[in-house]
Parts: sequence; structure tokens; C-alpha cells
Amino acid sequence: MSTISLKIEFGGGLELLFANQRSYSLSIPAIVPTNNRTTPTPPPTPDQPQEPVETKPADVTYLIHHMRDHLLKEREELFIEDDTVRPGILVLINDVDWELEGEGEYVLKDGDEVVFISTLHGG
Amino acid sequence: MSCGNPQTEQDALMIRRKKFDQARTCVKCKTNSGSIVVRYAVYCKECFFPLVASKFRRSLEPTINPITDGPRRRGLKASGNLLLGLSGGLGSTVLLDLVNRTYFKEPSTENGIEKPRGGKDHPRNGSVWAKTAVCYVETCSAFSGVRDKTEEIRAVVDKYDRFDFIPLRIEDAFDNAWWENIGGPPTQQEFGVDVTNEDLFLSTFATGETDSPVSCLKNYIASLPTQTAVPSAVQTLTRLLLLHTAMMTASSHLLLGTSLTSLSISLISSISQGGGFVVREEAQEEWTPRMSVDSNTTERKAGTVRTVRPLRDIGMKECGIWAWWNGLHIVGRERFPGGRQSIGALTKDFIIGLERDYPSTVSTIARTCAKLAPKEGADSICLICERPAQYGIQDWKARISIRSFEDLSSASYRPSHFPERIIKTSPTTPNPPRSPSLTPLLCYACHTTLTSRSIRGTTTNSSMIRRQSVPLPVWVNSRFDIDEKSNGEIWARTQMKGDQMKASIAEFLLNG
Repeated sequence: MSTISLKIEFGGGLELLFANQRSYSLSIPAIVPTNNRTTPTPPPTPDQPQEPVETKPADVTYLIHHMRDHLLKEREELFIEDDTVRPGILVLINDVDWELEGEGEYVLKDGDEVVFISTLHGG
Repeated sequence: MSCGNPQTEQDALMIRRKKFDQARTCVKCKTNSGSIVVRYAVYCKECFFPLVASKFRRSLEPTINPITDGPRRRGLKASGNLLLGLSGGLGSTVLLDLVNRTYFKEPSTENGIEKPRGGKDHPRNGSVWAKTAVCYVETCSAFSGVRDKTEEIRAVVDKYDRFDFIPLRIEDAFDNAWWENIGGPPTQQEFGVDVTNEDLFLSTFATGETDSPVSCLKNYIASLPTQTAVPSAVQTLTRLLLLHTAMMTASSHLLLGTSLTSLSISLISSISQGGGFVVREEAQEEWTPRMSVDSNTTERKAGTVRTVRPLRDIGMKECGIWAWWNGLHIVGRERFPGGRQSIGALTKDFIIGLERDYPSTVSTIARTCAKLAPKEGADSICLICERPAQYGIQDWKARISIRSFEDLSSASYRPSHFPERIIKTSPTTPNPPRSPSLTPLLCYACHTTLTSRSIRGTTTNSSMIRRQSVPLPVWVNSRFDIDEKSNGEIWARTQMKGDQMKASIAEFLLNG
């Protein structure tokens, strides 16, 4: 299975939810399930034969789910809401606002840098 | 969304609006590829920085000169010093950076030799403010489980070598030593208030009888009736500490890092808590220190402190991106523990969610509130928040409240619709000796904060309130008219009933 390498960074205090580590390098599969499931599907049994899984190229929505399942240490509700990041969290993809890139539908490429910035730390 | 049924009508679903209006090219330079979307407009990184800086200056500079007469960059000269309020949050950190870049950065140099345009003595090259200080109010004593961030904030301020750092603690609001240190008159007596009665009857105790400032603060917080009241009270104490510090430092301006998003949150939250009368002050206000008027101190101290929010046209998103691209460290503010269901927290969640999908609506909130003006004039200045108090507020509250005869007999005022003869005939208990009431001296919002109870129960833990009388902030103590010649007796005006008046002059009547 081919993978893509990404660099993840946190700003504005969001790193506190991720073991207080401001930067991560990680690899994710290039092709992922459409339902954004990040754990392997259980092997088929005679009673439950494996159903075909719909797939898609890895996008930012999948990355958010991957981060929730594998990197997030506490308080999921402060990071993810309705299958996307919580309002008040900004996302930059290669230093560009993700709203210009299609938000969660942006298809990730090898070497992409994704930054998550929290604006919820008061005024 | 649509009024149609999307299950049956294919066209009933509206196409979601794109996050940006036109192409991905920057709307300003029209050459570079865009890097950020600000309310449907696309900007490149190069154009983003001047955009934010110009919005900041456009908000601040018309307020710098004592007489506000338009956006004039030349000839800017404030009448006093500058105080910046720093909470450690995103907005105030960005504000600190913008103030430093705009007004305190070294002028450009040619061949290593400093050559300010027009010479260094040209008025244009002088400092707008003679001195600048940064004040931080540590609120950890108000809540359990919150850590002290003073040293982290100090490290942030120390990066800018031009700013003095003034750390305060929220309990200073109950500390006579702090009060006298900033020039307040020595307190002869301290006052407490009975929060179990909405008339907020006052009691006195001599200086030194009270607990430590931290205990007073905890007692004050514990006496508040709702989760909503706690952050509101802390916000008011913080604001007054900052204003008094501005007065002490002879500052003409107090700058706060309230972004457009934060301003919309605080406006809606304030209105929801009864602060509609001071909606203009929530955006910008001028505060005249009472003590300087009383004590004839220096000329500067007699002036007003102008509170300005120069980021009021800059959204939280722009602040976040500015901080990231400039490598600013955000210390962060912690939420009030247990306050998830408070009006402030719920409003914040609502507005931030709204900003993601409808960013222009959040801007509209602030702009609409800026057009509002109170219908009637101010009656007085509230003793606690020192903002204008609405005229006749107690009469109005009496008209809209459901009261029993018992309440009426003990109240210090009579509703205008309630004839005196009814009070006379109402079944009352003998009146105990009446203490002065704080209620007529408060604005609607502060009275509500202290007395309005939630149907969901209260935050009040009776074991926390160690005395019936809850201590008041030091500036409230100083406001009472204490007549020293009458042994510190408190003078208060109350309406007398007919028989009471007759009794008081009985010995002078010929036909008693």
C-alpha cells in the first residue's frame, strides 16, 4: 500500500491537546476508506464475509480523523466537530488558507505541510 | 437551506456559497496567488500585513488626539501615556505586536546611519505616547485549578524592550494596600453587602476586620448567584483594575485586544445580561477617575482614560493568521472552570460557529451595535462597574417584577403604580432598623449579576460565604459618602411614610 508523508504543525495553543508537541511528521495511506475509518477492517469470518469498502484518495477530512484516532491525547470535542475541525480552528495547507483549497476535500500530496491554529485562547 | 422539502424537490437545496467571491488571485495586488480568505475576499501574504496594519491604525488613530477630529496620521500626540491590557490571549498578543511595529519600531536606516525624515526633532518623529506600559491581571485566585501565568506573560512582554510590565492580581480589587498605592484615599471603614436580599443592604466593619484580599475575593465570587455572574464579575473587576492602573500611570489611553469576533461576543453577551444601556461603552468608553476629582491630584490624573479597542475591525481569523505568520507566542487564557453553560460561554460558541459559515454576520453585529444609543439619559455612575446607570431603573424593575406585600414593606422605594394607602393597609411585619441599600447605586447589569438567581440552581456554596456580609471592591468602599464628623455614619436617602414624617417632627407640632 502506498503512503504519503506529511508534516503537521500546531499553533495558538492547540498543541496542548497533542501531548504539547508542536510538530509531527507522519505517513498516511494514499487511498483511504470513504467513511474515514482509520483502523484496519476486521478480517472476514464465515458468518460475516468482508464487504467491499469504498475508497478515495486521502484528503484533509481523513487526516483530521487520523489525527483524532492516533495523535490526539485529550478532549476530542475541542478539536473535531461534525467530521471537521471545530469552529475557531484555522487550517493552512502549504501556508495557504484551506478555504482556498477546498477545505476537507483537498487531496493530500506527498510532502504537504498542514498547520492547525487555534483562535479560541481568549482575547 | 430552503423553505422547500429537499426530500421531494431537487431544487430545494441551496448551493452552499463559495468561501471566496471570485478567482484565487489577490483582490488587492491582482497579481499574486491568494493565501487567505477574509470575509469572501482573497488576499496574498504580501497584501495581508498592510491590510491588517491599516485597519488597526484606522481604528486607533482618530482617538489618539484629545479632540477626535478624523484620521490624521500627522501630528498625532496623546495627552498622556499608554497602557496596554494583556491577557495572554490571541487578540492582546497581536495588539502588543501591532503597537510595537506601528509606533515604536526603529525608523528605517540608510547605510547603517539612522536618518529619520525631517530630522529627529521633527514633530512627526516624536513618540505619540511618552511612556508605554503593559498590564496583566492574573485571575487564578478566583478559580481553583487554574495556574499562575504571570511569568509566562512577563517573558512575552520582555521581548519588547520598550514596554514596562505591571503585573496585577485579581484580588487587588479587595486590597487596601493596592488602593492606597495607586493614590486612593485611605479607607476608614469597609462595607459589606447582604446578597440574600435584592435590596443589597450594607453593613460596615472597621478596616482590619476583613479577611485577606484572596479570602474577600473568594467570598465575593462564592456569593454570586449564577455561573454567568462569575465570569462577568471577574471581567468587571479586571476592567476596573486596568482603568485605575491607567490612571496611576497617567495614561490617556487604555488599549485592549478585543477583536471583531470578541467584540461581537461581548456585545451580545453583555446585552443578554442586562447591559444594553452601556452597549456603546462596551465598544469604546471614556472613564473619569473619581478619586482624582476628589483629591485634587496632578493635572493629568484629572483627565479621562480613553479605552480603545483597535482590533475591532479585525476578525479572530486575521489575528490567528497574523500571529502565526509573525511567529508570536500565544500564552493563552483558560476558560472559567465549570462555566460551559454560562451566557458568555454559550454566546462565544454561537458566534464562533456563526463566523465560520457567515463571517459577514459577525461583522454586522458589531456595526449594528455601534449605531445604538440609549433612549434615556444616565442617572448616575454605577458604583461597581463605574459605567453610566440608567435613569429610573429601580422604578422600572418594580413595575416588571412580581412582588409580595412583604417585599414591598421592606423595600427602600415604592413603585409609582402602588398607592401608599395600600402599603399602609397591607399586612406587614414591624420594620427592623433599616440599613442603607446598595441597589439604588448600581446599574441594572451589576444588580442583576449580584442578585438574579437561575432556575437551574446557583453556584453559591453557603459554606464558602463565611459571613452574611460579602465584601465589596475597594473602589466601591471609597465612593460612599462617609461623614467623619458623625463618627463614620453612613448617610443615605430613603423615602419616609407619612406617619414616620409626622413622628420625626412631632415635638414641633402645636397640636400633636
